[in-house]
Amino acid sequence: MAGASAGIAAGIMSMLGILPPWLYAAVLVLSFPVFIIGLFLWWMAEEGTEDIPFIGY
Amino acid sequence: MIAELVMATIFGLLLLGIHRKVIARIQRRPGPPVWQEILHMLKFSFKSTWIPATASTVLFRGVVLVAIGIWTAAFFVMLTGGSLLVIFGIYMLHKIVEHGFGLSSGSPYGKFGGVRSVISAASEIPLFVSVAAIAIFTRSFDISDIVAYQQVHGPLMFIAFPAAVAMYIVMLSKMPFGPFSIVESKELVSGYKTEHFGVWRAGLEVCNGLKTTVLLATFLMIFFGQLPLLWMIAGMLLLVVSLSFACALTPMLSPFDSVTIQTLVTGLMLCYGAVLIAGVMA
Repeated sequence: MAGASAGIAAGIMSMLGILPPWLYAAVLVLSFPVFIIGLFLWWMAEEGTEDIPFIGY
Repeated sequence: MIAELVMATIFGLLLLGIHRKVIARIQRRPGPPVWQEILHMLKFSFKSTWIPATASTVLFRGVVLVAIGIWTAAFFVMLTGGSLLVIFGIYMLHKIVEHGFGLSSGSPYGKFGGVRSVISAASEIPLFVSVAAIAIFTRSFDISDIVAYQQVHGPLMFIAFPAAVAMYIVMLSKMPFGPFSIVESKELVSGYKTEHFGVWRAGLEVCNGLKTTVLLATFLMIFFGQLPLLWMIAGMLLLVVSLSFACALTPMLSPFDSVTIQTLVTGLMLCYGAVLIAGVMA
């Protein structure tokens, strides 16, 4: 949610002219992936134990 | 902008679903529903997730964030009419990201997929030549200037047709199940993304959706100018269907044939660029 909050806050500040466009873009590029992955990690099923994948014969 | 990013992602995934459906119908299969890719992304996001014991934990997670981040940047540049060079720099960066995906898991399938993504970077070279050809006409790399040029002189599709063909081939190389999709070839299971599953795979699907929207919308803006939203959506649908036909009717090439064909296209584009430059000098 921090990612979404940062992105929305930066959007509002950019619209009000407080934040320059390049800084808004930087905040967006950093916050959107955090928002997406954070959201998915929040609603995913519980974490499993790690496994060793096929590593060749 | 977050709302636009989410919509662009969902629309891109819908286009990928249509791509799969059209390929299936051409091959006389029922195929999945068109919203399958959206369900796919949601399904992975709900699944139980863990990281393989052989993986580099930081790279395994970080590369997903980087993948979404770079296409967020591309989307922003496209919407604000920024430089085409930034978008195409991101195309190149995506190859490095695919390489990172492949190497991070420790699986040989992923590693081979990662290596192939570097080989297939040859597919980006026609792109740079087509960008140079566009700049010869428009005297600018900015999308806003390219759009403004087309409002005066008409669509670049007709003025710089070979550049449009070269970029179409680049788009074809980016579409799944295409003749140049050597990074996701079935002998490599799922290629560079073999070991990324659960939340991390869902993140990769988000990246793919965003990438598809940016790829198609940029093509339309560069070669047809600024279209109304409905025309833009119709254009993207038409482009996807045409790409699906190309993907369904051509076999997947071997890695070396893929690189050879891309290099030949580059050679032809260089000849075209030379003719344009000679015309400017004369």
